[in-house]
Amino acid sequence: MDVAEATIERPGVKRFIGIDWDFGALRTAGPRYWAFITVLLIFTLLGILGWIAFLTQGAAVMAQRDEFTWGLWFSNYMYYVGLSAGGLVVYASVHLFGAEQFRPLARLAVLQAGVLVMIALLGDITDLVRPWRMFWFVVTPNPTSIFVYTGSAAGAYMVLCFADLWVMITGKGGEKLAHRMTLIALPFAIYLHTTTAYVLALNKSRELWNTAVMVPIFLTSATASGVALLMIAAYIMQYFGVFKFKPSMFRSLSTFLSTVIIIDLFLLFVEIITVYWPTAAKLGHTERMSFFLTGSYAWMFLPVLVLGIGSFALLAGRKTRHLPVIQLSAAAMYVVAIFLKRYTLMSMGFATGTLGQYQAPYLPSLVEVLLWLGLLAFGLLFMTVGAKVLPMVEPEHGHGEMHGEAHASEHAEIVPAMVPETVPETVPETG
Amino acid sequence: MAGSSLRAAGRLTHDPEVRWVLLVVAVVVLAFVALAAAPVPQAQARLSSSGELAFHPCDQCHPVELDAEGKPTKPLPVDLEKHETELEVHDILGEGDKACLACHDDPASNPGQLILPDGSFVDVTGDVSRVCQRCHFEKYRDWEAGIHGKNQPKCSAAGCHNPHSPSWIYIEALPPFLGTGIEVHAVSEREPFTPLAGPPVPPPVETPLWLSIVSALGAVTSAGIVSILIVGRRRQ
Repeated sequence: MDVAEATIERPGVKRFIGIDWDFGALRTAGPRYWAFITVLLIFTLLGILGWIAFLTQGAAVMAQRDEFTWGLWFSNYMYYVGLSAGGLVVYASVHLFGAEQFRPLARLAVLQAGVLVMIALLGDITDLVRPWRMFWFVVTPNPTSIFVYTGSAAGAYMVLCFADLWVMITGKGGEKLAHRMTLIALPFAIYLHTTTAYVLALNKSRELWNTAVMVPIFLTSATASGVALLMIAAYIMQYFGVFKFKPSMFRSLSTFLSTVIIIDLFLLFVEIITVYWPTAAKLGHTERMSFFLTGSYAWMFLPVLVLGIGSFALLAGRKTRHLPVIQLSAAAMYVVAIFLKRYTLMSMGFATGTLGQYQAPYLPSLVEVLLWLGLLAFGLLFMTVGAKVLPMVEPEHGHGEMHGEAHASEHAEIVPAMVPETVPETVPETG
Repeated sequence: MAGSSLRAAGRLTHDPEVRWVLLVVAVVVLAFVALAAAPVPQAQARLSSSGELAFHPCDQCHPVELDAEGKPTKPLPVDLEKHETELEVHDILGEGDKACLACHDDPASNPGQLILPDGSFVDVTGDVSRVCQRCHFEKYRDWEAGIHGKNQPKCSAAGCHNPHSPSWIYIEALPPFLGTGIEVHAVSEREPFTPLAGPPVPPPVETPLWLSIVSALGAVTSAGIVSILIVGRRRQ
């Protein structure tokens, strides 16, 4: 896998592992692109410094304590793993169900999914005081620990996402291989989200987590927030001229998003009603849940309901659903809602200890915030550079002889700025 | 069709045997309705709503008449000698009467009264859980919040625990509490009472000063770059 000259004759394009890496696009990128990269690098560096502080000074720099054994990193793990679901939904829709309107989005979706799972796993590693002990986790796994399953599923899923991206870009194996890869990735994704939900649901000592509905809620929240984030990413890419999508694709995404949101909200209400139903309510259970509706956690949990219902209300109107401002607002609201939901979900279990002792609400320390921002910036950096140097736009004959290629151009047009022979400047100066 | 059916039914009612059958059925139905509507005798009428210890209120054995000043007209026992109760766990409260007087007020002045945390008194048929609250305040808070004893919503402390030997709990704890249920020993070994401590105060978060300074610098620099990007875009 050595770097070779590109098949496309253009300065700065190098062929490596069968992909034409357009490094020339970085050289010719404008100052605004590099300014944005600089901001991301600053936050990545701050994250690294935070990690150094954690490794050198120990867990005293974290707000995680005996009663809050999982902190921001775990809510982010759930969040990022969930967000990655959007990528697979789009990818599977194209290659498994023939939803050709999403084909132009497929590469971006898979890249986003892979990057999200990557930063989720990095969050896991940076939470360890002695990360080198991960070795023992790998070589001597405890089969009764659900972390073994979710951790391995996340690692495998990340590899699958990047392999899928490689298959899509290189066109190796054609549509047939892409179809087979989807058949492998789809059960893996369900396995990943299910085992992530089980990390919470299998804790019998934390009754707010110990519910079977946790798994379907995870799947719907993940799908909804993932699709919402993908829609935002698609709009951003379109804004900077990387893609130009047809409005019909966004309409399809919006319809799908609103459907999943209402299922997600329904499951949440089902759980709340089960907790509070007069003849079924267990006082300890309702007491704990009340922290989140009227107590010290309400400021975090009530926005989940408000933003969720608001998001659905925005997308429910058939006359306004096609408007970009409505779609973007609803998507942004739901992405924020699910972040808060993950945060409160993590807090829920720890709100009272296993002895019934009340805990003050958890607020992350500076080091935890820096790790969070650093990893987020690193992921964005990965995406920003990837979108620049990787051929993200699917050519008209992307996957060989199978169906679909002819339809790609119906829903997306390759903007001249991204055609290799023309100016590769895409991010900074457009819009 | 309907008319012919009614006529047939009318002919049937002239039959004496059918009349008898109808009469018996009517009596049975009326008796059933009457029984269903009649007030059910309160088998446990003397129990309090929550049922604690009402089966042996003090005044059952020590009828008390109070004078105009609210004091007993007859002299009352001045100790608890004949109230021999085996204490397990609660024997830690003291020797002899001292253990009893930890919860029961002096029988000479307040017969059958139990002492509440604020120094006031409650009858044994009242909210005795608050008596337990004096020492077991953490457990009381958990019970009040529904965390301790969460599946027995109407049960109070003495509904589940033998008040004299609280390490024994009743198998059938749901009200009405009769005080005669089968008890099981909930604590395997005799343990001296120690109230559940509050949540430990977490040690303060130690944030290195250098990291705070570098973070502030990084944040300011990033904010500056983003501002320039936004302002520059607007100018364009």
